[in-house]
This record gives sequence, C-alpha cells and structure tokens, in this order.
Amino acid sequence: MPEQENRYGVIVVGAGHAGCEAALAAARMGVETLIVTLSLTDIAGMPCNPAVGGLAKGQLVREIDALGGEIGLAIDETGIQFKMLNRSKGEAVWSPRAQADKEAYHLRMLRALKQQKRLEIIEDEAVDLIAGEGEVHGVVLKSGRSIGAEKVILTLGTFPNGLMHTGEDQVPGGRVGEPPAGEISDCLAESGFIRGRLKTGTPPRLARGTIDFSRCEIQPGDTDPRPFSFRTEKIESEQVSCHITYTNREAHKLIMDNIDRAPLFSGQIKGVGPRYCPSIEDKVVRFRDKQRHQLFLEPEGLNSDLTYVNGLATSLPRDVQEGILKLVPGLEDARIVRYGYAIEYDFFPPHQIHASMETRRMKNLYFAGQINGTSGYEEAAAQGIMAGINSARSICGTGPLVLRRDQAYIGVLIDDLVTKDISEPYRMFTSRVEYRLQLRQDNADRRLFRYGVKNGLLDRGWWEGMVSESRNVVRAEVRLFSEKLDPEICSEVLGGRENDKIVGRKPAGELVLRPEVELEEVEPYLPGGRLDLSEKERESLKIRLKYRGYIEKQRRNARKMLKMEKMRIPERFEYAGIEAISTEAREKLEEFRPETLGQASRIAGVRRADLSVLMVLLERG
Amino acid sequence: MGESTVVALSSPPGRSGIAVVRMSGPEAAKILGRLAPHAGGWKSHQLQKVLIREISGDPLDEVMAVLMEAPGSYTGEDVAEIYCHGSMRLADNIIEEAIKAGAEMAPPGEFTRRAFLNGKIDMAQAEAVADLICSETRLQSRVALEHLRGGLSRRVKEIEKRLLRQLVLVEGSIDFSQEEGLGEFSREKLHSEAEGVISDLDKLIRTNIPGNKLRDGIRVTLAGPRNAGKSSIYNALLGEERAIVSHIPGTTRDLLRERIHIRGLTYYLEDTAGIAETGCEIERRGIDVGREAARAADLLLFVLDGSLPLSEEDIEMAGRIEHELCIILLNKSDLGLKTDREKAGNLLGARQMLEVSAVTGAGLERLRELIYDSTTTKGLTDIYRERIAVNSRQCNALKRARGAMESALEDISAGKPAEILSVWLREAASACGEITGRSVEQDILEEIFSSFCIGK
Ligand SMILES: Cc1cc2nc3c(=O)[nH]c(=O)nc-3n(C[C@H](O)[C@H](O)[C@H](O)COP(=O)(O)OP(=O)(O)OC[C@H]3O[C@@H](n4cnc5c(N)ncnc54)[C@H](O)[C@@H]3O)c2cc1C
Ligand SMILES: Nc1nc2c(ncn2[C@@H]2O[C@H](COP(=O)(O)OP(=O)(O)OP(=O)(O)O)[C@@H](O)[C@H]2O)c(=O)[nH]1
Ligand SMILES: [Mg+2]
Repeated sequence: MPEQENRYGVIVVGAGHAGCEAALAAARMGVETLIVTLSLTDIAGMPCNPAVGGLAKGQLVREIDALGGEIGLAIDETGIQFKMLNRSKGEAVWSPRAQADKEAYHLRMLRALKQQKRLEIIEDEAVDLIAGEGEVHGVVLKSGRSIGAEKVILTLGTFPNGLMHTGEDQVPGGRVGEPPAGEISDCLAESGFIRGRLKTGTPPRLARGTIDFSRCEIQPGDTDPRPFSFRTEKIESEQVSCHITYTNREAHKLIMDNIDRAPLFSGQIKGVGPRYCPSIEDKVVRFRDKQRHQLFLEPEGLNSDLTYVNGLATSLPRDVQEGILKLVPGLEDARIVRYGYAIEYDFFPPHQIHASMETRRMKNLYFAGQINGTSGYEEAAAQGIMAGINSARSICGTGPLVLRRDQAYIGVLIDDLVTKDISEPYRMFTSRVEYRLQLRQDNADRRLFRYGVKNGLLDRGWWEGMVSESRNVVRAEVRLFSEKLDPEICSEVLGGRENDKIVGRKPAGELVLRPEVELEEVEPYLPGGRLDLSEKERESLKIRLKYRGYIEKQRRNARKMLKMEKMRIPERFEYAGIEAISTEAREKLEEFRPETLGQASRIAGVRRADLSVLMVLLERG
Repeated sequence: MGESTVVALSSPPGRSGIAVVRMSGPEAAKILGRLAPHAGGWKSHQLQKVLIREISGDPLDEVMAVLMEAPGSYTGEDVAEIYCHGSMRLADNIIEEAIKAGAEMAPPGEFTRRAFLNGKIDMAQAEAVADLICSETRLQSRVALEHLRGGLSRRVKEIEKRLLRQLVLVEGSIDFSQEEGLGEFSREKLHSEAEGVISDLDKLIRTNIPGNKLRDGIRVTLAGPRNAGKSSIYNALLGEERAIVSHIPGTTRDLLRERIHIRGLTYYLEDTAGIAETGCEIERRGIDVGREAARAADLLLFVLDGSLPLSEEDIEMAGRIEHELCIILLNKSDLGLKTDREKAGNLLGARQMLEVSAVTGAGLERLRELIYDSTTTKGLTDIYRERIAVNSRQCNALKRARGAMESALEDISAGKPAEILSVWLREAASACGEITGRSVEQDILEEIFSSFCIGK
C-alpha cells in the first residue's frame, strides 16, 4: 500500500449534485470529509437545463430537503422563475419546478461547502483507488498524492471517458470546455466492475440579445411562487418569464437532408440515449408526421446573456444547427454562443451496488449519481445524500438507511436501480411510484423529517413543528367524521345539489367527501365550531380528504408487501443448486443478488413460484 | 402476507378419490362455520362428518372436515380442511363458497409460505417442501399452458392491451403534461373504453360455469306470449303429456318443472304462464312467477307463434325480459311462417332462432342440440366456441378487474383526477396479470416512449 496522508472519514470524488449532497451529509453527521473535484468552477454545475425540479423530480427535491439536504434551500435562493406543475391534476402529482440562475446556484452551493465544518475541498483528479482484499482505503490523485479514508464515494458524472460529439467532430471531455477523467473508470473496470456506455445531449445556447422575443409566446411563472424547502419562509426573488416558439416543416426538412451527418445516425455514437429526452434529429426521424416541435427559451441566469433552447438538444454539425435557427420564428437572427453537443460516457450498471449505495464488489466504496446510470440533477442529488448518510452511518456503526418504495420517491429510485436492467439513462417519473397518492410533495416532511432529525441533518424543532401540524390536521379530520349534522342542515349545505331526500343525521365529513362540496361550505355548521387550522394545515386536510379511501387502499397493498421486504437474503446465498427455481430466475438472481425477498420479487424473470421456493430455502444459505 | 384468510385446493388437481380444500387464517373457523352451519361445535383436530351448504343455504355435499387451531396446524394459523368427493367441480364449488364467506384465493405456494413465516417448517423439511411446491407449480403451469392454447390467455392479454392504451393516456397526462399532445385525455373516450373492458371481462366471467349447474341440472325455461305453444313444446320435449294444452289463451297458470336429459346432461325444463297485460288476478300471479323463473333461467326459450306476424305486444314483452342466453323459437312451422324473421331475431339479443313445430315434431331434435351446445362450453357465443372456461381462481381475478373498472367508471363520471383513475386501471391490469403471468404496468413508460414524441 502506498504511503498515505491524512486519513479522512469520507472522501467524495466529484462535486456535482451527487457529490455536494454526499459531502454535506457526511460532514454534518460529524465525519471528517474531503471533496476531490477536477475544478472548483464545476461545483454543482448544470451542464444542461438551467432548472431544478419538474415532474417527479420536484418530489425528489422536496424529499432531499426533508432529509436535511441542501438542494431545496439552494434553489429557493437562486431560482428566477417558480412554477407548480400539474396544477390541473390532483395534489398527489403536483411537482414544483424552478428556473435556476446557474451561476448563482453554483456560488450558493460552493458557499455551503466552504462554510461547512469538517469539510475540505481540493482540486485534483482521482486516478485510482487504494484497495485491498475487497476493501477500499482511499484514493490516488493525479498529483501523486495518496489519501486514505474509511469510505470513498464516487460521483463522477459524465466525466469517465467522456466523449463529446458535434457533427463529425469528436472531443474527449466531461462537458464542454472540461477534460474527461478516464483513468479511474478504467481502474474500476480492471478490478472487475462491469461497465457500460450511455449518451446524453444538450441544445445550443443563444445570445439573449439576438432573439426576437416578440415573435414568441410568453410563459410567466406562478404568481404565488412556492418554495422547495420546508425551511424557506418565502420566495423573495424577482420572477422572470420564459418564452415558447416552434420548429416547422422547413426546419425538419433541413434536418432530414443532413441526417447522414448526424453522429446519432451515422454510427459515430454507440452509447444509448434516453428516449424521454431525445435530440431534435431523433424526434424528427421517429415522428415524421409531427408538423412542429415545441421549443422553450429559458434564461440561464439573471445576469447571464445565455438562453437555453429547451427541446433542441442536438449533435448535428454546426452549420446545420445555424441553419435550423434561421428557420425558427424569433430565432432567425439568433447567434449561437455555444453549440449543442452529445456526450458519451461510462457508467456502472447499478445492480452492482447495494440499496445502501455501497458497491457489492468493494466494501467501503459507494457510487452515486450519473455513474449509476441515472440522469438528472435531482436523481443525482438524491443518491448523493443517501450515499453520504449511509457512509457516515457505517462509520458510526449503524446500519444503512434504506427507504422503502412506499416511503419515498428516493426509495423507488434506488430500488429500481438495484432491481432493474438499466439500459438507458434512468429518470424519475411519477408513474414508477406505485404509492404515488401517499408520496406527495406536500407531505415529504411528514414522511422523512424523522430521518433527517435522527441523522442529525435537521434540527429537532422542524420535526416538532411538523408533528404538531399533522396532529392538528388529524384532529380536524376526526372532528369532521364524528360531528353529525341534522338532515335539514345537510340539505341547506347541498342547496338542491342532491335529489334524494337526506334522512337521519350525517357526519359532516361525509358531505365534504362529495366532490362538489367544499370544506368551507360545511365548516360553519359544525356543532363544535370552526376548525382551528393554519392555511397549510387546512390545505393538507383537504388533500387527505380528497384521497381518503384511495390512500388506505394503497397502504393495505404496501402492508401486504412488507413481510417480503423484511425477509433478508444472505449476501452469499447459493442459487446454483436449487433445482426448483427456473433457470431464467436463477441467472437473474445471481446477477442482481437482491438483498430482500421484496427486491427479488421486482426483478424481471423472477416468478411467484420462484419466490415461494426462495422463501422456504432462505435460511439454509 | 398474514392477516387474510386464504383458501385453495391442496390435493393435486384432476380426478382423485378425495379432494382436499384447505383454508388458513384468522377467519378459517368462522368460514367453516358458515359452510357447515348445522355441525356441532368444532373441537380442534377432530374430524367431523358435516353437510356443506352454499351460503344461500342449498346443500352442496356431505364431507369430512376438521378444524386445527393455531398454532398446532401446518401453517401455524387456524386451519380448516374439507375432504370432499374427488370431483374438481365440487371442490371448486366449496372454494367459491368459502370466498363468498370472506376467504381469499391462495396464490401458489401460499400455505407453505405461511408455514415458513410462522416458523412451522424446520430446515430438515425445507428441501422436501421446496420440491413439493415445485411439482405443484409444474402441474399448475401445465394447466396454465392448456389455457394458453385454449385462448384464455390471449383474450385476457387483449384486455390488458386495452387497459395499457388507456393507462398510457392517463399516465401520460400526469408525467408528460408539459408535452404537446399528451396533456389531456378524453374522459368520454376513457368512459366508453372502460365500458368496453367491462363487457369483455363479463364475456370471460360468464364462462365460469359453476360446477353445481352441471350436477344439479341446468335450468331451461320456456316463456313467451299466450297460446304460442309453450306447453305443447314442453310436452314434446318431455315425451309425455305433462302440461295441459288448449287453444284458450292463458291455459297455463303454474310453473311446471320436469327433468330431462340431453346427451347425459341433466336439465330442468320449465313451462310458464303465457305473458299478457290482461287477465285475472290468478293469471297475473302466474305471469309474475313465470317472469321470475325466466330471469333465473340458465337458458331462456322465447316462444312465438310463427304463424302470426310479430305484434307490438310481443316486442314490448321481449323488451321486459332480460336474459344473457336466449333462443327464439318460432313455433307452429307446420302452419307456414308469418313472423318477420329479422325483427324476431333482434329480440332479446338472441343469437339463435329456430323454427319448430310442437305438433309435427319438426326442429325439435335440432332444439335439443342447441340447448346442449349453448349451455355447455362450446357453441352459442364465440367465446364458448374457443373453449374458454375460467376456473374460480381466474374468475375471481377477472371479477376483481371488473370491480376496479366499475369504480373507474364511477370516478370518471365524478370528475376525479387522473392519478385516481390510474389506481383503478392499474388494479384491473394487475388482476389480469394474475392470469397472464405478467403485468402491463411495467410497459406503461415503454409504450409512452414508443407512441408519443416525448422530451423537450
Ligand atoms: C451535455 C450534457 C447533457 C445532459 N443532458 C441532460 C438532460 O437532458 N437531462 C438530464 O436529466 N440530465 C442531463 N445531463 C445530466 C446531468 O447533468 C447529470 O445527470 C447530473 O449533473 C449528474 O450529477 P452527478 O453529480 O452525478 O455528476 P456531475 O454533475 O456531472 O458532476 C461530476 C463531478 O465529478 C468531478 N469528477 C469527475 N471525475 C473526476 C475525477 N476522476 N476526479 C475528481 N473529480 C472528478 C467533476 O469535476 C464534477 O464535479 C446532461 C449532462 C451533460 C454533460
Ligand atoms: N298447428 C300447430 N298448432 C300448435 C302447435 N303448437 C301448439 N299448437 C296449438 O296452439 C294452441 C296453444 O297451445 P299451448 O301449448 O297451450 O300454448 P301455450 O303457449 O302453452 O299457451 P298458454 O299456456 O295459454 O300461455 C293449442 O291449440 C295447440 O294445439 C304447432 O306446432 N302447430
Ligand atoms: Mg301453456
């Protein structure tokens, strides 16, 4: 083993969204922590969309915040347009989203890191791990230093052997203007980790002053911007607008005419890209009938001259990118400051990690973020905080915190990573969350504050506040269903909306459950007087009432699964000799090595009968 | 997976001397009590001879049964076992009744799983038990395979596909509301699709011909206007002058019932009072009884006097009878056909119409065949022709799917939001998945990506 200096508790390699949350969590939990990153300038960088949150991602941010993470606070301070998405649907699928001032966000996060006790940052490249006997003891840096640590968390993002494409041009790099970092990835592969290759892309950035916004639709933010963080009182900052324009037939024709020059179609790019986030050339080829595609023009910051063209991700040659813009209303004279490009990078299929984020192959080594095949800042941050928490817990000798699918989007995310074949970049969607009605952005505090507090990432006061709130809400709900109204009063409330005559006294709650009746209409008649609720409590009461029954139903399903979730499969469980399990299931089980029977049940190819056999044999090991 | 009480056949499926129906869970004793209401008290581990009754009170079979109280049972829970005569139909019936009384169908391996969870199986036994489960499931998969060939699986998969298409729109409107073209879905369309799914499910559910029908006899009921010749046909099929026949309208007043056999199957043939608006009090009573019988019949024979043109009254009368399975008989063919065949064919949604003559006996042989075909698993509807017959487990899954879709219909009309509608669609899909062995839920995103242009 090489000469080591300064033994740290945790070394976090990378300071993207995963790295920042991981390092902050570990340091806040009392562990001496070191961040090694290529450059201080890319800390919490947003190489793509200048936005945080969005559908399903907004829920992730709220959960990270409820666990005591930083991302929510940071975006609240640096967001420039806030919007609650899906307002036309029920509250269970509302998702907060905000345009971010990229530079301000980066600086805000950098400040948080710098002010954090027990946290140091150095600029360097990690090129190898110090390891032996299936355990990691530290990292080796490009500068030649070897630094020891009890735990190492790798959050390498798109840097491992990153290769950027713009037309025929190929440039190695982690993102535009930054070098790649391949050595450590190669070392991991050498030591037996299975490696794959994925692809993602980004649109061109335009000089704001050269866009004719008068020819675009305007898209303002919400008039009542809501904060991401439970700890933010109010959004103070000024709100800016985004704009919308559209591509058209001529632009599509230009793309088709040049399609053989597109790296995606010429065979130049081999990595698999996300289908939910296709490049414009992909969209035009796959959906030929579509007359136009929507483009969102988003500012990269209050003081930035850059405009991000959401919807125009591309790796077409520069002249084609320019040609397209000339055909799009409002962008005819726009000047491209930075061309769109695609990037291919290494990832490590996440069946190689435990649900704790620790790798199976090497003890004390954790992976988080893009390296696990996910894409997106929020997905990265979610894994980061969990890796940070669990590495610190492990140092303190406590078992890992593994959130269940019925507890959090984060639970679903990580459970999916360890049980599913990840063949394209993984993004969160609400439809992946079977207990969606109870896992809402509005109740992330009720679901997760206790973990935040237990781990020491949140002050106890937050938890107590939440408990008193939810006590008030439950009390109000109980009142609604125990205080009865006379039939005359019911009729008065319903005011002719009911055909059948009401007989007998009815609990007030029954009236409120009708979709056409508002809580406030019933409230004045409550025998016990009006409900004493804050605005927030009143809102959460209404949400509870809306999903009453449905949530109970989902809870019952979750409870049924619980016993399976609690049955652990020993790490070295021998599947080879079990005749009764189908061959396909055996292969999958050997590959994924589920930690619980619940995980096993979600692996494609493992059938119910296989599970029964497993259940019986479990203790034989 | 504790808590619920489950029931399943625990002897190997197929013909055997004795079939064992096992129940396990907190309600086992209560349910056994409901199935065998007249048994004396149950003492744990003491075999009793009891009469099993349907929940409706009709006797099913005399069986041996035993209650084994927790924890001294195989699963460690309260267990009831019923040893009945080795017919699958009978065992199926008992299971069905147990489910009506509150039990749930046990998935494969469930008893063993519970035994294991409650620490009832020691490790020396484990391997043997695993093998047992394995053979159990192998047998089950063979049975499933037969169904697959028979088309049940294909039918359910079609339903799954329909559900998936709707799920894609509903889920798409949630996860991709920012995208053009996926933002909103049409509630009217969803409503009519949901109705379509329900009717598809119903077609399959109907193929679950309960075993007791085959044992107790199938009810075939003659109904129709006065003087059409119902009693004459009744007598002709029986081969004896059982009912009074006369040219006076309203001859038959009482419900008559006799047993006949067609190709070894037992039928109860029923003659009813001719339907008419007029008539005295007694006749009216008779008509009501007849209507009730017609409704409860397994197969309805609607008799018209074919030598007369179809009257408004005939049409109205037919409209008031609801029945799934119906054959229209145009009687008195010897007198020459005056009834408009096409109009008559539209009555009652009947899929079969037959000209007969009670006097000459013409068409009666064909009628026997039709009765047989339409009440066994082939013939009449196209489903029957595909030889689909769902067993009670499958039927339960289909009914669960149906229930979910009913709730969906309600919530669509009530204007409930997408994420709630999705709960029902997913539940229906997962119930179908119990039959096809896979769930479409995991295909939702795949389907969205491949059919819509997603991604800003
Ligand atoms: C061009 C492009 C387009 C993208 N498009 C999308 C998109 O459309 N949608 C979407 O959801 N996401 C997109 N992303 C992905 C999104 O940026 C990432 O998912 C997210 O930032 C990942 O966070 P992370 O913390 O895992 O890694 P990153 O944010 O990439 O951070 C990696 C960090 O690791 C450091 N690092 C790497 N290697 C080393 C080393 N060997 N030693 C020391 N430090 C190292 C880097 O300096 C950096 O600080 C895109 C990314 C790029 C580059
Ligand atoms: N020619 C001819 N006459 C028939 C035939 N079937 C019945 N009839 C005559 O039609 C009359 C009515 O017959 P029923 O069998 O009593 O008719 P029904 O439908 O039972 O009548 P109600 O009991 O009064 O409702 C009798 O005079 C029968 O002889 C047939 O096939 N051909
Ligand atoms: Mg008669």
